[in-house]
Parts: sequence; C-alpha cells; structure tokens
Amino acid sequence: MSAITVSHLQKNFQSKRKTAGLTGSFQSLFKPEYNPIAAVRNLSFEMESGELLGFIGPNGAGKSTTIKILTGILHPSSGEAKVLGYTPWKERQKLAFQIGTVFGQRPQLWYHLPAIDTFTLFGKIYELEDAETKKRISFLAEAFEIGDLLETPVRKLSLGQRMRCEVAASLLHKPKLLLLDEPSIGLDVVAKQHIRDAIRTMSEQEKVGVLLTSHDAGDLEALCHRVIIINHGQIVYQDKVSNLKRKFLTRKLVEVRYAEEIRKDFALKGMETLKTGRYGVKLTFDTRATPADAVLARLSEAGTLVDITISDPPLEEVIANIYQESASEPSELPCLEK
Amino acid sequence: MNTLKFLFALWKANLQSVMEYRISFLSQMFGMILNNSIYFLIWVIFFDRFKDVRGWGVTDMYVTFGITASAFGLISLLFGNTFNLGDIIARGRLDYYLSLPKPVLLHAVASRTVASGMGDLVYGFLSFAASGLLTPLSLLRFILAILLSATIFGAFLILIQSLAFWMGSASNLSMIAVNAMLTFAIYPITLFDSSAKIILFTLIPAAFMGALPASFAQNFTWEILFQMLFGSLAFLALAILIFQLGLRRYESGSGIQVEV
Repeated sequence: MSAITVSHLQKNFQSKRKTAGLTGSFQSLFKPEYNPIAAVRNLSFEMESGELLGFIGPNGAGKSTTIKILTGILHPSSGEAKVLGYTPWKERQKLAFQIGTVFGQRPQLWYHLPAIDTFTLFGKIYELEDAETKKRISFLAEAFEIGDLLETPVRKLSLGQRMRCEVAASLLHKPKLLLLDEPSIGLDVVAKQHIRDAIRTMSEQEKVGVLLTSHDAGDLEALCHRVIIINHGQIVYQDKVSNLKRKFLTRKLVEVRYAEEIRKDFALKGMETLKTGRYGVKLTFDTRATPADAVLARLSEAGTLVDITISDPPLEEVIANIYQESASEPSELPCLEK
Repeated sequence: MNTLKFLFALWKANLQSVMEYRISFLSQMFGMILNNSIYFLIWVIFFDRFKDVRGWGVTDMYVTFGITASAFGLISLLFGNTFNLGDIIARGRLDYYLSLPKPVLLHAVASRTVASGMGDLVYGFLSFAASGLLTPLSLLRFILAILLSATIFGAFLILIQSLAFWMGSASNLSMIAVNAMLTFAIYPITLFDSSAKIILFTLIPAAFMGALPASFAQNFTWEILFQMLFGSLAFLALAILIFQLGLRRYESGSGIQVEV
C-alpha cells in the first residue's frame, strides 16, 4: 500500500527582479517585475508504507519545497499528491494527526522551556490522554536516551541533544509516517550517528515510514532502502540504495603498505596512483577494466605486502557525479535556490 | 472542547516561558502600571483645568482608558503573537503551526505572552475603580466591555498583519495602525465630527475599542451592546477571512530559526 503518491507536482514561486543601484530600486518600486521560478517540476513518485525513502539533492534542488507540500504547508501550483490517503493542502489538520515532522532548521521545542513541557503541550495538541502522554514520554526517553535531558531548558542543550529531543517529540503521537527535513544538519559525526540509530530503531519497532531529505549521503547509506535524487526540482535518479552502489560504485580505493621502501615513480598497469609515501601508496582502479584479482597480483609482485585496504569511494562522490550529469538545466522555468 | 484544552495548555506553556525570567516578568508588569499612571496623569491635569470637553469628563476618561488598557493587556497576555503575526508570515515561521493539527491562526496568535500585558490588564481595573463607578453590576459590564474591546483590537491587528501575505512585510504599517487605533480609542469621542466618526467605526475601528464599550460600562443599553457585538464579530470574521485568503499565497521560507 502506498503511503505517498505524487503525480506531476509543480510549484512555482514569483521572484521579484531588480536591477542594481538606486535607480533599479525606484524602477522596482513603481514598476516591479517578477520572474516565475520553478522549485518543483512535474515531480512524480510513490512511497510504500513503512518504507525508508531518501530524498537527496543539493541546496535549492526542491527537497524542502516538496516536503512542505506533502505536509500541507505549501499549496502546489499544479499536480496531485496523496499522503496516507489525504490531499495535504486540503486536509492538513487530519493529516497532521497521522504524520510527524521534523524540520532540522526550524525547532519545534520551546526554546525557553525544558523539552518535557513541549512534550506535554504536544500531548494536548495531538489530543492524547494525560496518562498516555506520560507513558509515551517514558518510552521515547528510553528509546532516544534523553531521560536526563528532558528537564533541562532547551536553550541549554547541545544541537545533537536537541535534535534527539526534536525527533522524539515528532513521534509522541505514534505517527504512521515521519517526514524529516535535514534532521542531521549541523551535527557532528557522533550526534549524526545517534540520530540515525534512533530513527532506524523506531522505524523498525513501530513500522513508521520515513521520508528523509538530506544533502548528506551518510544519512542515506545509514537509513534508507531506496533513494530519489532530485536536482533542479526534477528526479534525476531513483533506485534501491544497494543498486545505486552497484551501478555507480565501480571504482575502488586501495591503500597498501610494503615492508620495504617503494620507488618514487611507483605505478602499476590499470591503476591510477593517488598518493605515494615512503612505504605506502594509495591507488584507485575501475573494476570494469581491471579485475580485483589482477590488481592484487600486481600489488604483491611489486613488493612484500604488510597491509592492504580496499574500499568504496564515499557515496557523496557518486552522488556528485550524478548531479553533474544532470547539471544542464531543463527548459521552461528556471530553478530555485530556496 | 479539545480546542479549549489546547488553548489552556498553550497559555500555561506561555506563562511558564515568561516566568522563566521572573525579574523581567515582574519588572515589565509593574513598569507598565507605572507607565500608564504617568501617562494618565496628563489627562487628570487637563480635566482639572477644563472640567469637560463637549460633555466628556474625567470619569469618562477613567473608564475609556481603563477598558482600552485592559483590552490591550488581555490581547498581549493571551494572543501576544497578534503583534508580530506579519513578521511570522514574512519570515516563513508559519511552517511550525501548519505542521501541527490545530487551527493555524489561533495556534499562531496564542503562542506568545507579552509579560507587560499583565500590567495593562491590572491597570485597567485600577482605572475603573478610580472612576468611582465601581459596583458589582458595573464591574460585570466593564468586564464584558473589555472582552468585546479586546476582540475588535485583536481582529484589527490580525487584519493589518495579514497584509504581509501580499506586501511581504507589514511591520511598519502595523505599528502605525496600532498607534492610530490606541490614540483614537482613548481620545474623547465628542471631539470628532460625523465624518471622522465614520472612520472611527470602519477604517480604524477605535470607537469600538474605547468610546462605545466605555459608554456601555457606564450605562447598559441593548442598542450599544448589539452595536459592539456586531462590530467585533464582523471585524473578527473579516480578519479571519483575510488571513485564510492570504494563507493560500504563503510561501514559507528557508531562514534558520533557533527560537520558538
């Protein structure tokens, strides 16, 4: 069953155009000119119930605009969308009872109050019984390891601690679907890992579907089954994360350490040398052109191997290549940096 | 019923939020009482010299000022975000309210308490007590008058601030409109001729905020009660309509927000 169905969704904004300087300001005052800008273009996709779907793209790609349309915050210019059977911009309140949202750049927790006060307020907003709210807070406090943070004013929490509380708050009313807009933005590596672990655990335990926007490929690798890559408001790629890796992760990175000193002009056939040290070398090769066993054979012929690591390049690099391939702008309306 | 529970929970959270800064809360409250008292002293001196202005005396002034101050205080306390709704719209901060399952306008305006409003609210009652008209019945009329005065003031604020959906920013216009509303609400209505009065019942509905409720608090008539009810509810309906129409044009925003 589909949790989200989006069909030919389009969102245009009017952007005021002004030439530079005071003259431009006067012209703009009396005769303003507007340019239509497309943030989302003819977007169509589906998401199954309980699925973890990553919505990845660079800044201004249209990720946040799409998620805002799907939560009922924005009205689209045209097209259709159903989220859990509701049309978001027409049945916003009914839908809001069924979904949880986290906007990484816009906190929901009251800044001057301890998080537990916002949790209690959310209990009223989602029309939960007081006993039910308390029970749920205890459960989430354990799941997100925030028990000792709940009574500290939010302004005194670190960003990572606050984000854990934010995501926990969005799950208070047991939503069927979680829409996360950049939940890991600005977090350090450890805090990111905490958030990802908590989201994955909750998704597994409560069968919550997760639509996650991010421009961090690490979120995608850690959490998502499937990925949609969006650029200039359009889908440029969609597939399972495992397929994405298989299709695009054709280059491998090799780091080798030898027992003896290596030559400065160290080079092997079918491999590109990235960095050379006294005893070690970093290389890359394309698995389609050079089989891995041939690489290993050549490396061991070159000297006595002490250590060897073969790894995939970071997913960011792969996605950057896909962005670049789609970099030529589509016709009609220009894209949005919003 | 659920909406009422939600509103009480919201007001409780607002109160908790301003009480986090106890000294600031108390100083704002007492500061506002002092500020109003000093301001009103000018009128006391004025009426001591001239006795009345076209039949409008210091007693009328006590009641009018009392109702206006309490209505202003009530809106500040319970619907404090009416004062910066335009800014919320312009900065795309309605996202928060739109992502939660409650009426957006009600949720947004009730999500903030201006602590000094407590001083205005209390001052209004003190002013009414000073008028010498205080009886149990007149107090009930005074309270009803405050509620209707607050309704028209809140509605006027929402209407002006909602223009931000079209104008992008309505902060300056709102400031001018609020000042005009308050100034005309506490001026003796007898000063104005009939064409000016038309403006005070329509474009800047200050008469519905000051003079009319003050007249009702002093002498009950069904006619004035009906006029106040009609004026407040009509303006409230218009304000909600303008906000809802504007909401369709809402464009959100991408600014990083670190405070609710």
